[in-house]
Amino acid sequence: MKNFMMIFVGKEYVDLNLSPEDMQGRMEKWFAWGSKMEKAGILRGGEALTPQIRRIVGENRTVTDLTSAEVKEIVGGYYTVEAKDIDAVEQIAQDFPDYDLGGTVEIREIMVFDK
Amino acid sequence: MEHKDIDHLFRHHSGKMVSVLTRIFGLSHLDIIEDAVQDTFIKASILWRKQQPEYPEAWLTKAAKNRVLDIFRTLKTQKTHIANLSTGTDAIAINELFLDKEIEDAQLRMIFTACHPKLDARDRISFALKTVSGFSTKEIASALLTKEETIKKRLVRARKSIQKAGLQFSIPQGKALKERLDSVMEVLYIIFNEGFHSNKKNQLIREDLCGEAMRLCQMLLKNKTTRTSSSYALFALMCFHSARLPAKINLNNEVIDLKQQDRSLWHLPLIQLGNTMMNKAVETEDFSSYHYEAAIAAEHLKAKTYADTNWNKILNWYEKLYTMQPMPSHLLTIAVICIQTKDYKKAESYFNKLEPKALEQRKYLFYAAKADYYKAIHNLELAIEHIHQAIEYVTNDLEKDYLLKKKSAWLNQLN
Repeated sequence: MKNFMMIFVGKEYVDLNLSPEDMQGRMEKWFAWGSKMEKAGILRGGEALTPQIRRIVGENRTVTDLTSAEVKEIVGGYYTVEAKDIDAVEQIAQDFPDYDLGGTVEIREIMVFDK
Repeated sequence: MEHKDIDHLFRHHSGKMVSVLTRIFGLSHLDIIEDAVQDTFIKASILWRKQQPEYPEAWLTKAAKNRVLDIFRTLKTQKTHIANLSTGTDAIAINELFLDKEIEDAQLRMIFTACHPKLDARDRISFALKTVSGFSTKEIASALLTKEETIKKRLVRARKSIQKAGLQFSIPQGKALKERLDSVMEVLYIIFNEGFHSNKKNQLIREDLCGEAMRLCQMLLKNKTTRTSSSYALFALMCFHSARLPAKINLNNEVIDLKQQDRSLWHLPLIQLGNTMMNKAVETEDFSSYHYEAAIAAEHLKAKTYADTNWNKILNWYEKLYTMQPMPSHLLTIAVICIQTKDYKKAESYFNKLEPKALEQRKYLFYAAKADYYKAIHNLELAIEHIHQAIEYVTNDLEKDYLLKKKSAWLNQLN
C-alpha cells in the first residue's frame, strides 16, 4: 500500500456567493465522503486551509499578502489516504463534492525514501 | 448525525440570525449583517466537514452571537452611527435576544418590515425570501421563474425604500397592524401559490416555496397579536393544497389535473391539520377570501372520486368569493362549474359577463372553457371554433398539446 495526497484546488466558498442551503448540502457531502473513507480505514489525515495567503517570492524574499479573491485558484485543503495505486485514489476522488464549482482534485503520491 | 434532523438548518438559521442581528444593529446595517451571517455559514460548512457538532443549531447561534462584537467593530471603524445599541435594546442583554422566543419575535418583525407598504409589492416577496427565509438571489430567481438580475434589482430597490422611509424594525400596532397583516398574508399567499401552481420541472424548489410559506404562516399563528381568523384560514388553505402535492406530479414530472389525480396519494395528516385550523378560523363570523378558498379546497378533498364532487357547494363558495373579490378569473371558474352541474343557462350568463381580455395572458382559458360549453350543448362547430382560438392564445406547450388533442378528437366526430 502507498500513501497519496488529494489536493483540492479551486475557488473559495467565500468568493462564490453560495446560499446557506447550498453550503449545507456541500458540507453534508464532504462529511459523508470523509466518513466513507474513514469507515474504509484508508483516511490518514487532512486539513482545510483558511483563505489568507502570505507569499514570499524570489531572492529578495518579496512578501505579498493576498486573499482568495485576488488569485485565480487557491489550495483549499487536502486529504491523505492509503491506497493500492493512483487509479484507486482516482476512484476515491469521484466523491469530491465541488467539481460543479469548477474545483479540481490533484492526486500526488507521497514519496518514500529508502532508509 | 442524521441528515433529517438538520434539513434546511442553514437556510432557516440564516433568516433567524439576520433578523436577530437586525434587531440589535438596525435595518440600516443590513448589508454588514448579511455578510456576517454568511461568514458563519462558510465557516461551519468547512469546519463541519470533519466533525459535526452535537448541537448544530446552538453552535450556529453562538457563532452569530460572536459576530455581534465583530459587527460592532466594523461599524465603529466605519464611524457609522449605531442607532439601536445605545437605546432600546441596550436595556436587554444581547444574550436575551438570542432566546427562541425573541428570535421568533425578530423574525416576525422582519416579515412585517418586508411587507411594509413603502416597498413595491413585487419587491416584498423577494426581500422576504432573502432576509426571512435565507434564500439566495439565485434560488429566488429559480423559484419565481425570474432572471437573477431582476431579483438583484428588486432587493436593491427594497433596501433603498427601507432606508429612504427610515422604517422601524417593529410589528405595527392597532389599526396599522390589521392592514399590514393583510399585506403579510398576501405575500405568504403569493409565495405559496408560486410553489403550488408553478409548472416548473424542479419539484424541489416548488415544495420549498410551499413549505416556506407554511412555516412563516405558522409563525403568525404562534403570536397572539397576529393570530386571526384570516391567518388560521390561510394556513388551512395551505394545508389543504399541500395535501394534494404528492398526487400533482407524475413520474415524468408532468402536472396532473384534479380529475386524474390518484386520491389515495393525498396526505391525510395535512388534511386533518387543515380541518383543525379551519375550525379555529370559523370561530368568528369575520370571513376573508382565504376562508372561501379553503372551503373550496376542503370540498374537493371531501370527494372520494372526481365524480363525487359536490359542485353545488363549490359553486356556492365561489359565488361568495366572487362577491368579496370580484375577479374575472372567479367568473370563469363559476362558468366552468355550471357546465359541470349541467346548468348551461347559468353558464352562458356568466360567460356573457366576462370580457376575455380581462383575463390577460390567461384569456385562452376563456376560449377553452367556452369550447367545452358548446361541446356540452352539442354545438360541435362552435366548440371547434372556440378551441381553435384557445390554441392560438395558449403559451404553455403542455397545455397546447392537450388542446390540440381535444380539437382533433372533435374534428373526427364532425366528419
